[in-house]
Amino acid sequence: MATVTNEPSAAPSRRTLMAVLSFLVVFIVLMTIALFNAPTMGGPRVMATVETYLTEVRRTALPFLGAVALLAIVLGLAAARVVYREWPNPKRRTNLIMGYLFLAPYLLITLTFTVGVVLFALYISFTNYDIFSPPQWAGLANYARAFQEKNFLQGLHNVLWYSLLVVPTQTAAAILLAVLLNSQNRFKQFFRTIFYAPSVTSSVVITLIFMWFYLRTGYINYFISNFLGTFGVEWKNINWLGDPRGLIQLIVQAFGGDIPSDQWYLRGPSIALMAIMFQNVFTTAPTFMIMFLAALQDINPALYEAASLDGANGWHRFWKITVPLLRPIILLVVVLGTIGTLQIFDQVYLATQGGPLGTSLTPVYVLYQEALGTEGPIQMGYAAAMAFILAVLIFFFTFLQRRFIERETQLY
Amino acid sequence: MKSLSKLLALLFIGVMLLAACAPATTPTEAPATVAPATEPATEAPMTEAPTEAPTGEVPVTGSCPLPVEEGATIVFSGWGDETEQQIYRDSIERFGSVCPGVTVDYQPVPTEFQDKLKAQMAGGTAPDVFYIDDQLMTAFVPTGQLLALDPYMEEAGVSSDDFIPALMTIFTQDGQTYALPKDWGTLGLVYLPAAFEAAGIDEPTDDWTWEDMRAAAQAIADTGTYGGFCMGPDWARFAPFVFSNGGAFASEDNTTATLDTPEVKEMANFVAEMKEEGSLVTPSDVGATWCGEAIGLELVGMTTEGGWMVNFMKQTYPDVEWKAVQIPAGPVTRADVIFTNGIGVNAATEFPNAAAALAMYLTSAENQAEIVNTGFAYSTHPEQADLVQDPNDLAISGGGLLPDTRVAYWGPSTGAVNTAVSQALERVFLGDQDVDTAFAQAQEEAQAALGGGR
Repeated sequence: MATVTNEPSAAPSRRTLMAVLSFLVVFIVLMTIALFNAPTMGGPRVMATVETYLTEVRRTALPFLGAVALLAIVLGLAAARVVYREWPNPKRRTNLIMGYLFLAPYLLITLTFTVGVVLFALYISFTNYDIFSPPQWAGLANYARAFQEKNFLQGLHNVLWYSLLVVPTQTAAAILLAVLLNSQNRFKQFFRTIFYAPSVTSSVVITLIFMWFYLRTGYINYFISNFLGTFGVEWKNINWLGDPRGLIQLIVQAFGGDIPSDQWYLRGPSIALMAIMFQNVFTTAPTFMIMFLAALQDINPALYEAASLDGANGWHRFWKITVPLLRPIILLVVVLGTIGTLQIFDQVYLATQGGPLGTSLTPVYVLYQEALGTEGPIQMGYAAAMAFILAVLIFFFTFLQRRFIERETQLY
Repeated sequence: MKSLSKLLALLFIGVMLLAACAPATTPTEAPATVAPATEPATEAPMTEAPTEAPTGEVPVTGSCPLPVEEGATIVFSGWGDETEQQIYRDSIERFGSVCPGVTVDYQPVPTEFQDKLKAQMAGGTAPDVFYIDDQLMTAFVPTGQLLALDPYMEEAGVSSDDFIPALMTIFTQDGQTYALPKDWGTLGLVYLPAAFEAAGIDEPTDDWTWEDMRAAAQAIADTGTYGGFCMGPDWARFAPFVFSNGGAFASEDNTTATLDTPEVKEMANFVAEMKEEGSLVTPSDVGATWCGEAIGLELVGMTTEGGWMVNFMKQTYPDVEWKAVQIPAGPVTRADVIFTNGIGVNAATEFPNAAAALAMYLTSAENQAEIVNTGFAYSTHPEQADLVQDPNDLAISGGGLLPDTRVAYWGPSTGAVNTAVSQALERVFLGDQDVDTAFAQAQEEAQAALGGGR
C-alpha cells in the first residue's frame, strides 16, 4: 500500500541515534550472555544474590569478559553500520527490524547455550583451568603441548586410520545395501527394517554384545576357526579387543620382519582398532543406507530404460547412472561419516578404554581423560585446546571433501 | 491508517522484546526472590525412614561424635551396587540413632561417580559428605574443595592413629586429614586345591615365597589341564611383587619415578620369565575376562585376588572349591598392596559439624564392626582385623596388616604412573619389548607425569 519513497524528513540525527541504539543492544545482549557463561563455580551459594554472582564473576572471569567485550564491540559496530545504511529506506528498515525480531528468541538461545559455551571453551583453551579456581592465562601452551604428548598424537593417528578405512567401507556398504533393497519390491519393508535395526539400537548395547563376540573364546573366533577348519587350516584364536598388533606390522611380520614398539606410528591400525571399526560399519552403514534408498527412489526410471535400449548392462547402469546421480548424497554421507569417525568415543570408552598399548585411543577419549582428570589433575584448558584442534581438522577434511566430491554437482 | 499499522507494529515489537528478554532476565531476578540460599532443599527423605522402620534391634551404643547443628540436613553420596547401598542405608540408620538431630539424604551414584561429583562440585551442588578416592583427592584438595577434618576429629576424640596406617597415606596431605578410610582391600594368593592335587604338590602356606609360587605354577602348568599362575598386565597385581622386593613405583616424595630401579626390574624380569616359560598366563590367554573368573572356570591353579572373591565365587561358581593364603614373600620382605576409599566432607557444606559427624561415625570402630559382620568389607581399624569371618577372606586380609604393605599412591599423578606400569607389563607380556626397554619407557612416561603435573 505504501509507496517506497525516501522520506527526506527522516533526520540524519535519528538515523545516527538508531545506529547507536543497535550498537548498544548488540553489545549489551552479548555481554549478558557472556556473563551467564562466564563463572567458574555455580550452585546455591554463588547464585544466592546478584552480588554473590558478580563476586564470583570478578574472581574468575574478568579476562574472558574483556575478550568478549572486544568481540561485542566489533559485532556492535557492524550492526550499527547496517542499521545506519538501511535506515533511510523504510521498507528495508522494516524488513531488518522485523527479521531480527523474529529471529531473536532462537538467536538468544543459540547464543547463550551454543555460541557462548564455545566461546568460553575457546577462551579456556588458552588457559590452565582446573574448573574450581580462576583460569590462568597460558597462551598457546596447551596447543603446543597437544602436539608433543604421545596420547593425543596417537589418538589422532588412530582416528585418521579409522576414518580412512571406515568411511569408504561404510559408504560402499550403504550404497550396496540400498541398491539391493531398491532392486526388488517384495519384502522391501521387511528387509529395510531388519537392516536398519542396528542403527536404532543403542551403540552401548551393540558394543557390549560385540565385546562378547570378540573374546578369545567368543563367537567370532569360533566361527573363523570352524570355517577354516573345514579347509584344514588351523586358526589361532585372537583376543580381538586386546591385540595391539598393527595391520602393517602384521604384513611385515608375514615376511619375517617386525616393527619395534617405539615406532608405533608405522604399525598401522591395530587389530583392536579394526575390531571397533568393523562394529562401527555394522551400526552406521544402515543409517546411511536409508539416505541412499531415498535418493535412489528419486532417480527417474526412464534413464535406466533409455540406457538399456542403448545396450548398457546392469554394471554400466550402476556406474554411469546410479552413482553419478547419487553424488550429492555420497558427499553428505562421506562428510557425516568423516565427522562421526573423527569424533569416535563411546565404543572406545566401553570396549577398550584406549588400550591395548594406546592403539585404540582417540582424541575425544584423551580429551575426556584430561577434562575429567581420570589420570591426574583436571586440565580443562588442555582438553579444550585438543577439542579445537580436532574441530579445525574436521573443518579441513570437510572442506577437502566438498572440493573433491562436489565438482559437477549442485550444492546439496 | 498508516499510524494504526505503525502502532500495531510497535506493540508487536514490544511484545516480542518482552518475550525475548524474559529468559535472559529471569536468572538475575530469580535468586533475589528465592533469597537465602541457606535454606536447604527440604526433600524430607527422613519422613520415609521411620515408616520403613528400624528393624527393631538398633542398639544405641555410642553418642554423637559432635554436637551437631540444629535441624541439619545433609546429603551423602557414594558409588556402589545394591549390596553396598543397603549397607550404607543401615549405617545411616545407626547414625540416626546416635545423632537424632541430623537428617541424612543418601543419594548413591552407582557408576561414573567421580565424573559426576567433579561436575557437581564445580556447579556448587555437590553432596555434603561423599566417598573419596585418590582421583578425587587430586581434583579437590589443591583447590580447597574438601573440609580438613582435623579440628572436628580432635573435638570428637578421633585420631588418624585409630586407623590402619597405610590407609591414611592417600587422605593426608600437607599434614591435614581430608577423609577417613571407609574400607579397604588387598590381595592374597587364591588357588584351586584340585590343581595342586592334579600336579601332585603341596598346597600353599602362609610362609610361601614368590619362588615357591613359581615352582608350583610350573608344576601345575605341566599337568596341561590347568594354567599355572594367572596375572594380567596390571599394576595392582604387579605391586606386591615390587613392594616385597623393597621397591616402589616412585620415590617417597612422589617426585621421581623409580621404575628403572633394580628392585622393580628384577621383579619384572621374574614375571616376564614366568610368562616366557609358560607358568604365568594372562586371563585372555585362557579365555577369561579376569583372573578371578579364570579360577571360577577352573582354568588356572593360582592367582592373586582380593576379598571380593568370596562373594563372587559364592554367587557365580558356588560348586568350585577354592582357598586362599597370605600374599607370598619376596626377596626382601613380605608386603602387599592395599586399596582404599574414604569418606570426606565438602568444604562448602552448610552443616560442617553434622557432615563431619557422619563421616566420623561411618568410619568409626562401632559402625565398621557392623559392616565387617556383613562380610562386605574389612574394618579400617586394626584391632578389628580378626572380625573377618570367612577363613579365605581372613587369609587374604592378613596381607593388609603387614608392616611393609602400602597403597600404590604416588601423589596427584597416581593414575598416569600406574598406567605406565600396566602398559610396560603389557608390552613385555606380548613380547613386544624386553623388560629393560619397556620399563625404561615406563620410567620416562611416569616421570613426565610426576614432573609435569602440578
